[in-house]
Amino acid sequence: MIRVIGLTKNYGSIRAVDSISFEIKKGEVFGLLGPNGAGKTTTIKMLTTLSKPDSGKCIIDGFDVVKNPYEIKKRIGVVPQENNLDRELTARENLLIYGMLHGVRDMEKKMAEPLKIVDLWDRRDSVVLSFSGGMQRRLLLARALLTEPFVLFLDEPSIGLDPQIRRQMWDIVRKTRIDGRTVVLTTHYIEEAEALCDSVGILSRGRLIALDSPENLKAIVGEYVVEFINGDGKLIQNVCKTRDDAHEIAKQRGDGVTIRRSNLEDVFIKLTGERIETGEPVE
Amino acid sequence: MRQNFPWYPIFLREMLLFRRKLLRLGYLFSAMVVPIIYLIAFGLGLGRSVQIRGIDYMTFLIPGLVAMSSMNNSYTWVASALNLNRLYFKTFQVFVQAPISPSSIMIGEVLAGMVKGLFASALIIIVGFLTPSGFSITPLFFMTLLLNCFLFANLGVITGMLAKSHEDTATYSNFFIMPMAFFSGTFFPVDKIPNFIKPVIYLMPLTHTNIVIRKSVLDIEGLISFAVLIIYSIAFFVYGSKLIKKYSE
Repeated sequence: MIRVIGLTKNYGSIRAVDSISFEIKKGEVFGLLGPNGAGKTTTIKMLTTLSKPDSGKCIIDGFDVVKNPYEIKKRIGVVPQENNLDRELTARENLLIYGMLHGVRDMEKKMAEPLKIVDLWDRRDSVVLSFSGGMQRRLLLARALLTEPFVLFLDEPSIGLDPQIRRQMWDIVRKTRIDGRTVVLTTHYIEEAEALCDSVGILSRGRLIALDSPENLKAIVGEYVVEFINGDGKLIQNVCKTRDDAHEIAKQRGDGVTIRRSNLEDVFIKLTGERIETGEPVE
Repeated sequence: MRQNFPWYPIFLREMLLFRRKLLRLGYLFSAMVVPIIYLIAFGLGLGRSVQIRGIDYMTFLIPGLVAMSSMNNSYTWVASALNLNRLYFKTFQVFVQAPISPSSIMIGEVLAGMVKGLFASALIIIVGFLTPSGFSITPLFFMTLLLNCFLFANLGVITGMLAKSHEDTATYSNFFIMPMAFFSGTFFPVDKIPNFIKPVIYLMPLTHTNIVIRKSVLDIEGLISFAVLIIYSIAFFVYGSKLIKKYSE
């Protein structure tokens, strides 16, 4: 469905995206995981025709994003990281304008389903200014679904939302996976990538440093983590391949040791020596 | 709908926003304040004792104020709305990501700007009819007004696309729009201006609007000015569409 080959983008002397390549299958939920500034949003902007790549190619549904932007625009729906709703208009008016821009017919009828999916049908005639942050993000999602896109792009779908509301958002995102729709999302929340994605590409400083299913990524670094606080008060984490290895380390250490399943954060630390959500180095 | 008028949703959006603005009365008053101040200060204050080319000053001034106001409003609305939508609200990106052509975006924005320019002009025309003067509207006056709104709405798109911040739009306005308001024949005829500045004056599109808008019939001078306005309009439209087409973050 989506093929990206050697995609590169520079801003001045800074290389925001550095020759990344990947493929996404039809019906897959693909996640780009990485800290802020890793190049996730720039990648999404290039895939959604908003930003022209300096070199490389992306092909969506057989069309080149640079050569055939018009065909791409007919096939995609985008939830941007920055809320770009018209705040002074109502939810209905926002969808109406968007639907007309995309040539959707029978707007009044078509609008009902996405608004119901995101649970905003009852608020359709309220001005967006009166919406909470979570409601506005849900409306953005409804707007993107209005055109029944083949590919749905979600740039940080739950950014700035409370953990509880974030889970609601995940449920809604899962609901949008109908008719073999492909979903591409970016996130710097480890849980979000694990909860939603069939495969995850890990981005760091513009480079794609790993790409696989969350299970396989974790299996590569080791599925168990032994954690303890050392004499200097620092948190030490040992990633182990097997449960037995983990127990061995725990036994040597004695008290105050926890063993847990590894997550994508451990993968990221192993690969870069930094944390995803804060970008801080780890010793 | 889409095949025939792909610009319509962009126009409609601006009109929905405009309607909300109109409902807040403060906007209406602020749109009227500047031209009325000019009318009182120049027309009633200075103009009592002045005659220009044998006609009383009020009759000379009102078409000039209509030209200036239509320029200001068409231009400023489009420039600042487009700039804010592009840089802060990011709603411009919704247009760019929609399957419509750059010129459709351009047409939608320009038509919306024209409506706002015509709205402001209508306010002055009403005031013009209420003041004692020989002011009247001819088909040529109306045509020129439309063309002027179109021209400056196009220029507004260009500024809105080029300005790197919202403060930047004010800079453009101070350099291009303000001098035009004062030196292109709004308040006094351009032939009173020293010869060495005249080439610059005749480069300003508003000068030509002021020439045509005061004519009762289209003579050779008027025809040339009308042609200049059309050439500027086309050039601005083409350049503006190109800026939208080239847009990349």
